[in-house]
This record gives sequence, C-alpha cells and structure tokens, in this order.
Amino acid sequence: MTAFRVNGEAVVSRAAPDTALLWVLREHLALTGTKFGCGAGMCGACTVHVDGEPVYSCLTALSDVAGMEVTTIEGLSPDGSHPLQRAWVAEQVPQCGYCQSGQIMRAAALLKENPNPSRAEIRDTMSANLCRCGTYNRIFRAVERAAEEA
Amino acid sequence: MASSMKAKAPTPALSRRAVLAGAAGLTFAIGTGGIAEVARATASPGRGALNPSAWLSIASDGTIAIVFPSTEMGQGSSTALPLILAEELDADWDDVRVEQLNRDDRSFGNPIFGNVLYTAGSTGVYGYFDSLRKAGAQARRMLMHIAADHWAVPLASLTTEPSAVVHAESGRRLSYGEIAALPYADLAVPEVAEEDLKPRSEYRLIGQSVPRLDIPAKSTGSETYVIDVRLHGMLYAAVLRAPVEDETPTSLDDGEARAVDGVVDIVTLPDGIAVVAETLEAAFAGRDLLTVEWSEAAPARRFDSAADLAAYAKAAGNQGHQATKWRSSGDAATAIGQAERVLEAEYLSDYAYHAQLEPMAAVAAVDPDGKGAEVWAGTQTQSWTMRTITEVLGTTPDRVRLNMMTMGGSFGRRTALRQEYVRDALLTSKALGKPVKVVWTREDDIKQGWFRPAAAQRMRAGLTAEGRLTGWHHRVATPSVIAYFNPLRWEQVDPSDIISMRGSESGFYKLEHMLAEHVITDRGARVAPWRAIGASYTSFAAEAFMDELAEAAGSDPLDFRLKLLEHNPRGRKLLETVVEMADWTKRSPSSGLGLSFAGYGASMAAGIAEVQLDESSGEISVSRFWAAVDAGLIVAPDNALAQIEGGIIFGLSSALKERITIVNGEVEQNNYYDYEILRAHEVPEIALHLQDSDGPPTGVGEVGTPMVAAAVANGFHSLTGRRLRHLPFTRDRVRAALT
Ligand code: FES
Ligand code: FES
Repeated sequence: MTAFRVNGEAVVSRAAPDTALLWVLREHLALTGTKFGCGAGMCGACTVHVDGEPVYSCLTALSDVAGMEVTTIEGLSPDGSHPLQRAWVAEQVPQCGYCQSGQIMRAAALLKENPNPSRAEIRDTMSANLCRCGTYNRIFRAVERAAEEA
Repeated sequence: MASSMKAKAPTPALSRRAVLAGAAGLTFAIGTGGIAEVARATASPGRGALNPSAWLSIASDGTIAIVFPSTEMGQGSSTALPLILAEELDADWDDVRVEQLNRDDRSFGNPIFGNVLYTAGSTGVYGYFDSLRKAGAQARRMLMHIAADHWAVPLASLTTEPSAVVHAESGRRLSYGEIAALPYADLAVPEVAEEDLKPRSEYRLIGQSVPRLDIPAKSTGSETYVIDVRLHGMLYAAVLRAPVEDETPTSLDDGEARAVDGVVDIVTLPDGIAVVAETLEAAFAGRDLLTVEWSEAAPARRFDSAADLAAYAKAAGNQGHQATKWRSSGDAATAIGQAERVLEAEYLSDYAYHAQLEPMAAVAAVDPDGKGAEVWAGTQTQSWTMRTITEVLGTTPDRVRLNMMTMGGSFGRRTALRQEYVRDALLTSKALGKPVKVVWTREDDIKQGWFRPAAAQRMRAGLTAEGRLTGWHHRVATPSVIAYFNPLRWEQVDPSDIISMRGSESGFYKLEHMLAEHVITDRGARVAPWRAIGASYTSFAAEAFMDELAEAAGSDPLDFRLKLLEHNPRGRKLLETVVEMADWTKRSPSSGLGLSFAGYGASMAAGIAEVQLDESSGEISVSRFWAAVDAGLIVAPDNALAQIEGGIIFGLSSALKERITIVNGEVEQNNYYDYEILRAHEVPEIALHLQDSDGPPTGVGEVGTPMVAAAVANGFHSLTGRRLRHLPFTRDRVRAALT
C-alpha cells in the first residue's frame, strides 16, 4: 500500500511498490492525460510534477512518491485555463497532441522557477521533451506568451 | 456509430451522437459527385433515428453534423475537411459538430485511392475538395428550396447568411434548424454547377485560419488516443514477437511468466507470445520472464543493412541491370551520350523509422461467439483496419463496431493492409473472452518497425560546353514498398511504385530528355510509406546533384535552376522569394547557405538552410531555414504553416540523425537513445512564405520534407567545398567527407 496525493486528493495504491508511477496514473487511476512514449526517460511525454518538481513518471517508482504530492496535466488547472494552456490554444501548438501534456508540465515547472525565461532557457529546458510533429517553435512562442500574460 | 467533437468546445472524443438523438431534421448521403440522397430524420430517440449512412445532418435544433471521412494523426484535416463543406453550406461554424467516420463505407472513400478510406499522401483536402464543396452547396440550395416553398416566394429572391435563409424583401428569416423541421415533400437533390459555387473572394471560413477543433482537448490532456482506452474488465497484453521477421516460436517456457502476480494467461500467436494480465505492468513483467526459442530458418535472417545497401548501389550503378521506367521524356540516353561533359554521382540513404510518439496499441472486445467485435484502433485507414478485423475473425463488417481513434502521430506507420497490432488484440481477446488492450513498448515499436526503405541512387547528366543541361538520368535502386505493405494494391499497379519512386520525376523542371527508373531490389526489412515517401530520398539525390551540375557548369545554384524553370513561373517565384528571404548573396565564413527546390505531388517548395559545422566532432547544425511554398489554395493557413514547419523539422531530423541498421535480420536500435530525433535545442528558426495561388489545393502535410536534406548538403558544400552523399549526415560521415 502506497499513500500519496494526486492533484490534491489522497490516494492509496495497492500496486507493487516498484510499479512505474506512469502505469499507476494512467491505468489504475485513469489519468490518461499523462502519456507513455518511451519508458526510458528519453521523450518526456510522461512528465508530471512530484512536490512541484518535474519528473519522468515512467522512471519514477510508486514507492518514490509515498507521502508526496503528484500533479498531472489534469490537475494543472481545474478547467484548462492555466496560462500555458491558454497560450497553447492561442498559438495553436498541438498537432497530434500526444507529447503536449508532457510539454505543458515541463513548461509549467520552468515558469514556476523562472517566470521570465529567455528563449535560450526555454529551448534548453524544453529539450527534455520530444515532439515528433515538430511543434517546437510554437512551444517556445507559447511559453513566452504565457510568461507575458501570467 | 461516430465519435464527435463540437466546434469551439472540447468534447470527449468518445462521446456519441447524443446531441442528435431525438431531434428531427434532414440527413444527406454524400458521394464523390456530391449529395447522393436526402432523407428525413424522425424524432424517435436513439441512434437508429438517423440514417446511418448520413454524411451530413441538419437537426431541428440547428446542429449541423458533418462526418469526417479521413482519420486524424495531427495533420488537422478533422477541422479542414468539414470546414470546406461548411463554407459552401454557409453554415455558422459554431453550429458544426464533426463526427469521425467509423465504418469502411466506400461510398465516400478517398477518390485519390479508388475510394478506399485511406488518409495519406497529403490527399485529404485536395481529394475531397470538390465533392465537399458541391455537397455543401447542394444542401444549401435544398434549404433555400424548402424556404421558398414555405414562404411561396421565388428561389431567386432568397439569400443565406450563416445558418439561415433570408428573404430580404420581407425581412423574413428561417434558421437552418427551423427549415430542417419543416414538412416538405420534395427531397430531390438540386443540381449545382461549378459556377454556382462561391467565388474565393466570398469565402469566410476557407483561408481564415479558423482554430483547429482538436487543440483545446490536446492542451488539457483530455484527447483520447487508442492507448488511453479503458474498458470494464479489460485485460492487458504484451507480445514478445519474433526478433526476425517470419520466425516462429519453437519452444516456450512460460513458467516464470505465469507466476507473476496478475498474469492471467499466455497466448501463442502466429509470430509471437502474448502475456495477458490484469495490469499492464504485470503483462510487461511476465513478458520479460518468457524463455522462447525461435526458428532460425526464415529468409529474413539474411537481412543486413550494410550488405543490402552495397548490393543496391551495385545494381544502381550497373546500367545493364534491369529497371522499370518511372517517368521519362525525350531520349535521355542519347542526350547524355552526345553531351560534351557527363557527370555521375551515387547517393545513398539508410532505413528510417517513423518514431511517432504514440507506440502501437489496439483494443478489442471480441463477442462470445468469436464472430464479432468492438475494436478501438488508431490507423490511417478504416478500410484496411476493417479488412484486418474481418480476416482475423473470419466474419463480415456488419459484425464489427469500429472506433477510429485520433493518433499520436503516424507519418505512414499505420497504413498497411494487414495490421498486426490490431490482429494481436483480437486474437488475445478471443482467447480470453474479455476485452484486451495490446500495448507496444518503444522497443517493440522500433524492433518491429516498418521502415522507409534504404536506397541507392545513381545520378547521371550531360552538359554542353557552355554548361547547359541536356540529359538527366535518375536510377533508384530500392525495394517496392507497395509490394510489401499492400500486396492487393501492388496487383493493380505493379511495376509502378509511387511510394518508392515519388520525386524522382523532378517534374517541376523542364528536362527535355530525362529518364527516372526503378531498379526494384530485394527487400531487406519491413517497409512502409514514411512522410513524403520516395521524395524524402529522391529529392535529396536530385537536388544535391543539381548543385553539383551547377558547380560543373560554373553557374550559381540559383541561376542554374532558374534556367530550367522558364516554363514554371510559380516555381521561379518561389526561388526568387526564398533567396530574398535568406539574403542569398550575403555569405558568411562561419555558415553555409544551401538551396533546394522540391516538393510533393503538385505542391512546390523552395528552401534555404543555414548550415554550421563543428569540425572536430563532425556535427552539423542548422540555425535557420527559410522556405517559400506554393500548395495552391490554402484552406487553413495557420495549420498549413504548422504542417510545413513540422515537415521541415522531420526532414532535418532524418537528414542529420536518423538511421536504422539491421544485422542478421534484427534491428539494432532500441529506443530514442539510439534512434535520436531532433530536440528543441536543435531546431532552426524557420521563416515561411505561403505563395498566393489561384490553383486548387494540393496538400501541405508533406511538402516541407523533401527539400531539406539537399538544402543541408548544399549548405555544407558552400561552407566546406565537400559533398555529402549518404543520408543521414552522421558525424562519422561528415568527418570522412572532410578528409
Ligand atoms: S515515457 Fe517517460 S520519458 Fe518517455
Ligand atoms: S504534437 Fe505530435 S508529438 Fe508533439
């Protein structure tokens, strides 16, 4: 039994302690906004926040989050109105969309730490997340827009 | 059955037609020639209330439902196609709901593919443009007829404004929903001619960058992909598939796997072993514990990417080796034979992997009698997915409830006639009598990938003493992609393979004496279409060789190309625009500019790459890329820019990094750490120009890709004086080119 919090709610998971947090979120808790892309810490599609820090949930064991607060894309804002989400729509960022939850969670962690990042800082931070559709330049613009509007 | 989304409001992709149930109205069946049939929907509740073959429905509450006949993989046509119909219907876009077509209904298949429901080759908008416009215009005319009859006024006295018919003289107005509810006996389909359609100057949706309908859900994590589907009582399957194509399991020890907590059963498949479990983690854990011996007799054991490419190169270079003509004009052999100077060069390209971010997955719930199923799949073709299902179950389409899901990228990956991931979900669900979700890992996705084929190309051309191009010969040695990924199609087109050969026609230039031919080689991997298909490597060879010819002719690469474009003012304009954008004549010692002019089908693109080099490592980077594109009428300009930019990044990623190697029939790469794709810090700044055009739409999904590799190679040459002739331009190859 592992007790932790997800998006502000207390949960108790009976999954084995070494289960990847990604599977617990997606398949046990039905929070499918967090995506599986590689399982190897290479694509960032599974990015969530643990106590505010961005992590690859595919490489995070359930036991690692015991007693901690996990935030997923579903918990970023109650109604999809986080400044980044508004900026994502304004800049029409997503194509297939599969990488975008991870991109937004990565960007949200960046803005929390650095509310006014330079383009170079954005490029650098966002290089942890892959986008095969090639939306990177729009992502940069959306992060800048969110930073301005926040 | 259809999933739907409403304009401007994110709706779960799996919601049903609930909004229309219970509402009376009109339904329209559409075919390639426009509206085929009109019917009156009754007000009885439930799905049966509507004509199941309706492509367009107008309900009395004003809701306009438009069926989307393609599938969505990120290209945005789930917004663009309905928009075309809505434009001619003069619909208020806020009234429109888009419904995914979930059947293999060839009555409105893609005309480009013989009415097969197949989403590929940038054909969605141009394939459906005429029929959607005509259907929209006919439906609008019909609503006007009903209103004219109701008011007893002449048709000619009526106009429409968004979702309403207006009688200006009397100031009367009826909404489309009100009209759809009126009793009216004559449901004959009105004739509408091309000249009755809106002139482009009156468009208020087409060309206006209406926001994509799918973006809100994709910004909140609420879009549902097949990998996200969860059903009550669903089990999970992980499949250990043969490491080499066509090998089969000869012995199996599954004791340890069965002992894993949560593992339910082990199912032997034709080419693999499925571990079925209550949880996904148990299925993966069980799979890791299987001990399987595989047969070692399959011909694919001999697949070896290095040796195979060497054999392709030999076949390309041996002019006596049999080849199939792809395109020709004049007499290239004689022209080259009589030329004062002949240039020849060999270009190579390795296998490339789609690397779509969503790994393959499928969900099936097979009926107790094993002859029917509900299936969730994300593929580029309702037709071939349905065919896979009916073949596997030995059943008929009426027993299949199909749910076509939006895809986490595809780029050609999910196009094949036989879809093994769908098959595996069906077989395991049938064996267990429960719904099953099959999920591939990234490693599965690469090891079991269907790749862009490797190719060897031999370019030959003749020049006059003054440097004029007289003859052009492009020989492509590569397997037939169609013969493998769709043998049914191959029966129809053999030996002409557009997937392997596209681009080698160099059709934008006036090449008086040219020959492009296909040396069909033995296949050394599973192969499939890949973004821009053949043009991703044929345009590399053609446009890099064009620079070699310009150099031999002592001419600027721009001028040399312009001379071949005297008959193509639109193409010339693109080159002139892009050189202006990039300030072509300004040269810098630390970077090289490379020009390229290619495209896809009738869509043309001129591009310039600004190339930098780290000499010690051999690492190339591209800091800026400029492109001017003519894709005819642009239905959704902002999305077109996104698609073209994505296509350029895709092309750059593959040109710089992407390479699959195969030894003893096994793919060597594993995951994104050894099959790297371009990351955020590596993307160039991209400046795009969309050229105004009065031509029909010609597609934007692939036009960005083909020009890129040659632009980089040509920029590398302008920086270093050296040529890169083997894709991708890995550090080793770059360093070798420098010595
Ligand atoms: S799925 Fe976790 S980094 Fe790719
Ligand atoms: S939008 Fe498709 S992978 Fe990023």
